[in-house]
Amino acid sequence: MNLVLLIILFLLMIYIDKVRGIKLFLSLVFNFLILMVLFYLIAIGLNPIICSLIACIILSYVILFYVNGENIKTKSSFKSIIIVLLILALLIFLITNLSRIAGFGIESYEEINMFSYNVKIDYTNITISLILISLIGATVDSSIAISSALYEVHLNNLKLSKKELFKSGMNIGHDILCTTTNTLLFAFLADFMTLMIWFYTSKYSFLDIINSKTFACEFIKILFSAIGCLLVIPITSYITTSDLKKEEN
Amino acid sequence: MKKFNCIFLIVISVLVLLFTYNDDFLYKNEIMKITKIDTIKEDIEQNSLGLSEKYYTKNITGIITNGKNKGTIKSILYEESYSSVVTDKYKVGDKVILDKNSIDNLKRDFYIVLMILLFIILIYIVGEVKGLLSVLSVIINSFIFYLGLMLYFKGIDILFITVIEIISFSIISLFIAGGINKKTISAIISTVTSIILILLMLLIVVKLTNYKGITFNDLAYLTVPAVDIILPELLIGAVGAIMDVAITISSSISELIDKDKNITLKNLNKSSKEIGKDIMSTMSNVLFFTYICAGLPIFVLAIRNGFTIKNFITTNFTLELTRFLVGSIGILASIPIATFISIKIFKRGEV
Repeated sequence: MNLVLLIILFLLMIYIDKVRGIKLFLSLVFNFLILMVLFYLIAIGLNPIICSLIACIILSYVILFYVNGENIKTKSSFKSIIIVLLILALLIFLITNLSRIAGFGIESYEEINMFSYNVKIDYTNITISLILISLIGATVDSSIAISSALYEVHLNNLKLSKKELFKSGMNIGHDILCTTTNTLLFAFLADFMTLMIWFYTSKYSFLDIINSKTFACEFIKILFSAIGCLLVIPITSYITTSDLKKEEN
Repeated sequence: MKKFNCIFLIVISVLVLLFTYNDDFLYKNEIMKITKIDTIKEDIEQNSLGLSEKYYTKNITGIITNGKNKGTIKSILYEESYSSVVTDKYKVGDKVILDKNSIDNLKRDFYIVLMILLFIILIYIVGEVKGLLSVLSVIINSFIFYLGLMLYFKGIDILFITVIEIISFSIISLFIAGGINKKTISAIISTVTSIILILLMLLIVVKLTNYKGITFNDLAYLTVPAVDIILPELLIGAVGAIMDVAITISSSISELIDKDKNITLKNLNKSSKEIGKDIMSTMSNVLFFTYICAGLPIFVLAIRNGFTIKNFITTNFTLELTRFLVGSIGILASIPIATFISIKIFKRGEV
């Protein structure tokens, strides 16, 4: 069934635009390969956090420079994403360690009971890297939206001061906030649907739900994706503004 | 004004956090605050690949903080593992929920609330009122989602509920995001049309392939048939992205018509497709990472149990791929659909 869906997706991409469609398709395949290599490196025991930070940088490099081309917009976005990643890595490290969301909750035991749990790898680090990689797509998305829109504003109105340019970056940010939080919310709800049905049939109370590991892990993961999108807005606005002004001088 | 509001928000957040930290009286189960942890035994176990895992038996002592035994001291044995695949590493100062005489779970509500508040404060700083409005739309949508599930448990067909839900999701989120105007109306119509077309496509694909090659391991814990849930899940997962595309396209078409009243249909069509192409790649990347990464923990477990990558992809990974594929198809399909509908709405009377 996935194969049929994949073919439909490919045909749609070609229908929309031959060159860019194929490029997008290739970049997705490439991302998939990078992820598989990353997963594998983590599985054989390399440090998950360092591996996933490097992978995030490579992935955003591919999405930005291969798909969107190398220019001042993508360069500023790239810088901002690295800054956001470093800030968030610290925050994620803290929260994951505190809230003990690593590993699997009771709800997934059936899914994993065919495996032995003696795997000699710390799942705390694996959860940290899971959160890091899952937020990279959304963060790159809002970063590139800000920097390209700012670039257009700058081109159309070269007289704007640094402060005014930054402000219009933040204004564009307001517009994309709502739609991005929605995209993330519904991706989360879709995941959450099965979990909710399980909770309901096992008669969980509200407090049982919010304290359960499976729910907490999913919830914290999606909130970090949203926080990534949020943080990247002022940082990209600031960096793009100063890069554009620097280039002018 | 903004500074004042920020301080107000932070003060409220601190109060809420203080309350959540001390809300033990809300729980029926006993809550214990850990005061001492002693390791009393260390074990080593091996799996079939020869990986040796350390197990620690710990004696955890703490004070009960709620219920009729409040203030009494309790000691509990707990077996912890190095990997913490299914166990947790407790520390002194943690509050844990007890189930009779064993530890059931960590009290995580404090961290959940902490994250929510962090998010709300940040979204207010970055997005001001519009940011808070999007939180509002998230809350309303979650409530509708919950209501839909309750109706499902009452025995109403879930696919039918989902379609109704999706229509209300798109009406609420888009009106909150954009106000009541032509732009949002055309975005809503585009979203609903796209979702219905995707549903039809999925029904045809399912009829042809009968879920061949999809394993429902993810849904193993369900007591209701997985086949019931899968289509609604796929649709809801895609609707956020589709809305995003629809509102982007309809606002740019309205922008284009505003700038140039005499713009030809052909040019309008072309510009809108161009915008669609710009957003399609980053949007499908968002879904890609959100979904595909979910497989990492199981992947590690599988590889460390001697599975090959190929083995893993065909048994444990199929549903995540399906979610991503359906979402991306939604994004791509909604580009021409939204273009067509927006042009029809904005140029009504001329065509």
